[in-house]
Amino acid sequence: MGLPFIKEAITQLFSKPSTEKYPLVKKEVSDGFRGKLVFHPELCINCGMCMRVCAPQAITRTIEKTEEGDRITMEFHMGSCTFCSMCADFCSKNSIELSKEYSMVVTNEDDLKVRGSFIKKAPPKKELSPEQLAKLKAAKAAKDGKAEEEFDSCPDA
Amino acid sequence: MFKKIIDNSMAKSPWIYHINTGSCNGCDIELVSVITPRYDAERMGFKLTGTPRHADIVVVSGPVTSQSKERLVRTLAQVPEPRVIVSLGSCPRPCNVFKGSYSVEGPLDKFCEVDVSVAGCTPKPEAIIDGLALAAQILKEKRRQK
Repeated sequence: MGLPFIKEAITQLFSKPSTEKYPLVKKEVSDGFRGKLVFHPELCINCGMCMRVCAPQAITRTIEKTEEGDRITMEFHMGSCTFCSMCADFCSKNSIELSKEYSMVVTNEDDLKVRGSFIKKAPPKKELSPEQLAKLKAAKAAKDGKAEEEFDSCPDA
Repeated sequence: MFKKIIDNSMAKSPWIYHINTGSCNGCDIELVSVITPRYDAERMGFKLTGTPRHADIVVVSGPVTSQSKERLVRTLAQVPEPRVIVSLGSCPRPCNVFKGSYSVEGPLDKFCEVDVSVAGCTPKPEAIIDGLALAAQILKEKRRQK
């Protein structure tokens, strides 16, 4: 008969503990893990799809007018994020990526914000030929004249 | 002399009190897994207590709901100073998907000063360990200032 589980007891005695040595040994996360967001502003086209699909409204956009064009700043608040990856899935230009970084510990909430800004140029203005300009002017004059006529015919005026 | 011994030993073993203010249970489960043998935060001295009166670190999870608001305020009033408040997950501070809800009483910052916030929905147990380590450090500094 002998002692029950004696083999198990001896193997357990010499096996490694199941505790992970976390702070000493950094842990690798599995593939497909959704961690801290990475934004590539050079790829973004400012379509605003990510803001639409974001359930916790963690994405904000500010638009500044500059000489070169509109300066667009996208701000992703990781403190408010649910890491659902919808923004990355809906991004047609793949400018949003979810990295494998999982440790987001801060004392100041602003450190959790991921920002990226880029300049979007306005389309160049069309150069009109003199004939086209004359045509436009004539059309405008005709419209104004019509308006004036209507104004004159109004009995209360 | 005794005071010094007590201070040193208290710095090495901060006790945690966990309060759920309307969380979905995800963060609560992850926090419990931190004290299981796999992650074992107890090797660093963290211990979960049952009463706020023994706590040094208060871990809050969940957006503060109308039902839990009064309990939160009452519990925090019982925690002795110096204390460190950790907001666990995305919920307590910016309220996550619950922001603007009729039953959510805004961010946790309204009721107390939050020292550490751990982001993630839910945060990985490793991230929680990092957060608690930072909280212990802050607690040490607060004790020294006192």
